[in-house]
Amino acid sequence: MKTLLNGAGVIAFVAALLLGTASLVAHHSFAAEYDSAKPVTVSGVVARIDWTNPHIHFYLDVKDDAGTTQWKFEGYPPNMLIRQGWKRDVTLKPGDSVTVFGWRARADPNLGAAREITFADGHKMAAGPPAGTGGQ
Amino acid sequence: MKMRVVGSFVAAAAVAIVLAGPASAQTRAPANGSTPIPRAADGKPDLSGIWITGALQLQIGEEAANAILKADAAAGRPAPPPREPPPYNPAAEARRQAYLARRGIDDPMARCFLSGVPRITTRPLPFQIVQMPGQIIVLYEVHHAFRIIPTDGRPHPDDVDPSFLGDSVARWEGDTLVVDVIGFNEKTWLAGVGTIHSDKLHVTERYTRDSYDTIRYDVTMEDPEVFTKPWHQQETFRLRPNERIREYECIENNEDLLRFEKLLQNESLVKQPESR
Repeated sequence: MKTLLNGAGVIAFVAALLLGTASLVAHHSFAAEYDSAKPVTVSGVVARIDWTNPHIHFYLDVKDDAGTTQWKFEGYPPNMLIRQGWKRDVTLKPGDSVTVFGWRARADPNLGAAREITFADGHKMAAGPPAGTGGQ
Repeated sequence: MKMRVVGSFVAAAAVAIVLAGPASAQTRAPANGSTPIPRAADGKPDLSGIWITGALQLQIGEEAANAILKADAAAGRPAPPPREPPPYNPAAEARRQAYLARRGIDDPMARCFLSGVPRITTRPLPFQIVQMPGQIIVLYEVHHAFRIIPTDGRPHPDDVDPSFLGDSVARWEGDTLVVDVIGFNEKTWLAGVGTIHSDKLHVTERYTRDSYDTIRYDVTMEDPEVFTKPWHQQETFRLRPNERIREYECIENNEDLLRFEKLLQNESLVKQPESR
């Protein structure tokens, strides 16, 4: 279908996509706290969810050979999640086994910016903004 | 096969729009068909509705945002022009670069300060325009903030106290609402990290409902203390008919302040610490 669009339309579409990335800042610059060069994927069990502004946070108990480490992830504010199909206390619950993809914080070793959550049944939900706004 | 038929139809529609050539705001075909732009009792375009702009993906998800952009492309709607860099004088540019080097840690927005104009418009949360005789109210979800904008011809008051959102008065130029904003404090950034301004800032916003689904937003920022010439930006507002404004209380659980303090204690984590 895209190939049937006129050239100007495709250019406008691509330009609009690029422009969109110029104003991705939600509440603070991504780069202020997180490092887009350090992606991280963590699997664990949800321990707690703070459904609050300006960001939600959720805590994940991650087990490995050394024991259990608790990770904390920041996500979109509640209103953005609701508009992307989330339901409070339904979409993500304590006890859920999930895999979180995101980026590491610069200061705290077990803090991250969540981008996407993969649930036990395999479905995925966006949880936070893309990386790389670079403080722009 | 069905996709191909639909695609052909979209392409034909796009060609038809292109062939129709430049059209005035009143006659331009909207993306969703031929719904005319609504008008108020005084004949002016009615801007009322809930709108989103800026980062669509954050607000409605990647799929829905891409659908809007594809519809734009199919309809031949031109993308906004590339963002102009702020035309700062050397002293102001040096300050901006220092803020950029600190990766936006100093952003007033991250401290939950009310955003000013135009930044409050492009924050990625919806806002509702309520147009009524003599005034227009804008209700912003972000910060649960509002602006009351007289359209009855009154001038700015003579006792304006510098504030985050400034003082707004508006007039119609044809079918475009022109909002004049003065009286800002210096506690906000205009449009991104380090986009400082002085209390001499003068903002002119132009709202043009160029289709049923969209408002073109042209904004000009003038500030003799920091700019060498006026700074322009253009955005497109998207109508969200099934949306509602929800609460957004930024300070509820703003952990960023503590995290920033932690970052600033370790100089290696900020590229170019600034004395404060």
